[in-house]
Amino acid sequence: MVKVYLKYLKLHLKSVMQYKLSFILGFISQFFVFFASYFVIISLFEKFGSIKGFTVYEILFTFAVVNIGFSLNEVFARGVDNFDHFIKAGKYDQLLLKPVNIFLQVLGSDINFLKLSKLLQSIVILIIALVNLDIDWSVFKVLIILNMIAGAFCVFLGVFILNAAYCFYTVEGLEVRNVLSYGGREMAQYPVSVFKKEFATFFTYVIPFAFINYYPLLYFTGRESNILLVFSPLIIILFVIPCYYIFNISSRKYLSTGS
Amino acid sequence: MSFIEVSSMSKTFKVTKRSSGVRSSVKSFFKRDYVYIDALKSISFEVARGEIVGYIGPNGAGKSTTIKILSGILRPDSGVCKINGMIPYEDRERYVSNIGVVFGQRSQLWWDIPAEDTFDLLKDIYKIPKDDFISRKNELVSLLNIEEIIKIPVRQLSLGQRMRCEIAASLLHNPSILFLDEPTIGLDAVSKKIVRDFIKKINKERDVTVILTTHDMSDIEALAKRIIMIGKGEVLYDGTLQKLKNKYDNIKHIKVITNTKVGSIRKKGIIDKRKIDGGYEFDVDSKIIDVSLFLNYLSNKVEVKDIDIENENIDEIIIKLYQEYEI
Amino acid sequence: MKQYFTYFKISFISGLQYRVSALAGLSTQFFFGFVFIMIYLAFYETEYDSAPMKFNELVTYLWLGQAFFSLMYLYHKDKELISMIRDGNISYELCRPQNLYWKWYIKIFSSKLSMVLLRFFPVIIIAFLLPFPYNLSLPNNMFSFIFFVISMIIGAFLVTSLSTMVHIIAFFSLDEKGIMSMFMVIADLFAGGIVPVLFLPKFLQLIADYLPFRYIFDLPYRIYSGNITGMTAVSNVLIQLLWVFVSIGIGYYLNKRILSKVEVQGG
Repeated sequence: MVKVYLKYLKLHLKSVMQYKLSFILGFISQFFVFFASYFVIISLFEKFGSIKGFTVYEILFTFAVVNIGFSLNEVFARGVDNFDHFIKAGKYDQLLLKPVNIFLQVLGSDINFLKLSKLLQSIVILIIALVNLDIDWSVFKVLIILNMIAGAFCVFLGVFILNAAYCFYTVEGLEVRNVLSYGGREMAQYPVSVFKKEFATFFTYVIPFAFINYYPLLYFTGRESNILLVFSPLIIILFVIPCYYIFNISSRKYLSTGS
Repeated sequence: MSFIEVSSMSKTFKVTKRSSGVRSSVKSFFKRDYVYIDALKSISFEVARGEIVGYIGPNGAGKSTTIKILSGILRPDSGVCKINGMIPYEDRERYVSNIGVVFGQRSQLWWDIPAEDTFDLLKDIYKIPKDDFISRKNELVSLLNIEEIIKIPVRQLSLGQRMRCEIAASLLHNPSILFLDEPTIGLDAVSKKIVRDFIKKINKERDVTVILTTHDMSDIEALAKRIIMIGKGEVLYDGTLQKLKNKYDNIKHIKVITNTKVGSIRKKGIIDKRKIDGGYEFDVDSKIIDVSLFLNYLSNKVEVKDIDIENENIDEIIIKLYQEYEI
Repeated sequence: MKQYFTYFKISFISGLQYRVSALAGLSTQFFFGFVFIMIYLAFYETEYDSAPMKFNELVTYLWLGQAFFSLMYLYHKDKELISMIRDGNISYELCRPQNLYWKWYIKIFSSKLSMVLLRFFPVIIIAFLLPFPYNLSLPNNMFSFIFFVISMIIGAFLVTSLSTMVHIIAFFSLDEKGIMSMFMVIADLFAGGIVPVLFLPKFLQLIADYLPFRYIFDLPYRIYSGNITGMTAVSNVLIQLLWVFVSIGIGYYLNKRILSKVEVQGG
């Protein structure tokens, strides 16, 4: 499995190298696109100062972590995000013709190195936020950042997988995917306590964004000291595994309806 | 038990009715109509190991539905499909490692990099042992004469060159069945010949069973002894190509070169007369009038310089068949 | 003229084919609308005095933004034009007896219009019915409403002119990705698509005044809520109109240049 995936990675790298100039241009333009969303936060805080007791650097911290997780998906799980292309173009058939797990093939089908630009920017913003935050560093605080990033990666992977599963039923109305992916990212950049109760509940217990930003943030900034919060991002596993099952069950439907 | 065994297999699709015009579009925005299309109605056939079978029929006859079921992509609504002891759609991963599929209109090669790199990926996908991979690759590459071609990025290849690479890619794992869906579509005469010769060769030497769909009857003539014709989801003909030809080859096209002007001829069995360069062409039904009788009759009337007798062309036979079955 | 109407009809019909898509678009727009309003609400609850707009003006701005999203969307990319740009092949287009600039203009305009016609109404109605403080307010007064409608129509032409212009520029550079997305991000920023123009830092607001982008939707939405009234509204609408003529002029000129370039190179 790993060997096959690494081979995919190698071939994608080789393909990208065929168009170096276009890659560099794209990399730069990605930089601008992402700068825009960073800019929203900066301009809003310039006007208002803080949001519900959170400072600009605290928000930039969750913003950066969530975007690291999101852009990792954009780099490595683009095939999942663009799964509708497989169904629409009939390319899904070709995946079925290979004796390898479908999901691995979907992951391997597309790797978008351009979005490394966003990943890089998010890391820079994370560093800016960390430098400006007053933190009592400990092993747990380092661990919590890693957990948050892993959690953010997994939660969006789960969302992408759900979106992909949707494509087995219909490729109409794909815009609705944006609710959970882009809308979810928009939300997850802020701690859930910013939102009204119903929203916050939904994004704690159904799509568990609160466990990757809000709860860890409370521990990280010293508002709470319960050590369990360090591991709260790992709850995401309970979300991703069912998502994968839903994808697999949905894929059986394709076998009976075809294109 | 046969190698490929298909019995009373059927498949129905549900399709949305699309409408044109503003009013009916607005209407269908609120209420949708569906139609059910029987792609396959109880199809049965068997194929022995090592056979080459041409699977033909007009567009929409159910060809690609059949191929999809046989290659494990689609599940039939009812009926049995058993290949090499496996049920394709039940046992997908195990089954597909034993088949090769080439879609003439679709590529499995990576567009921006040389085909050789795709081969390398396929080696890992099919878990081909290194030594086997190297020897098989070398063999295929030299048979198809693509030693240099596989080093060039695929997007720079001509269609014929690319198709040769596609075929090599589909055989690297030494499958026992090869599905070819319109493998010669859009190819020039030379590439067509290379592809056909190659298919013949691997069929003979490696005993690979080949299922071939095509609209190009010369593919069938060159490759397949047996054809299965399908129309409106049913098998209409299953047998040798020769038998089919015999049934319809009573129509002869006879070209007669002459300086004499031929007036109207009324004789039973002469279907048509056309003026051609330096003479005439007649369509004659040899069941009604013997060719020698016709020539005798004609030479009495005009001075014949040269003649040329041609059988009905295979395309015309197929068109006739389609007409006969109203498909 | 008739052929242009046919373009509109075709894209309207093909839009109608996708009702699930319309429904999905609607729910997406509500979701985003709510998320944005809640974020702003949290900011306003923290520090109301520093806000540059009244909260109901802002909410109205955001809902109008969601309702007319597909019309005023700056990231519009026409698939057919993009693929022509990619192949650098418009000789087929040249074979037809039409003015290419207007053809593209109408094409972009009609796909935007047909999308928004299917979508804006439910958003407006539902947004009106939402409870305070999430609801869309009624127009400030009759004057505001009339000027809003006028300014929306001009705004729609403005965004189409700019979109057409970007497609033509992309044609020049034969690169549809880099230039287009960079242009779109900058345009979106100055248009008030990322945050309303009044929320931008002062120096950016100054720059925005000298660019066409804030006249696309920032102006009509603020006229609607009464954030801009009286003579300011009138003069702004005149400037808006001026920008339509300027952007059509530039686009038309660039289009001519391309055609002569194509004719020289032979496609």
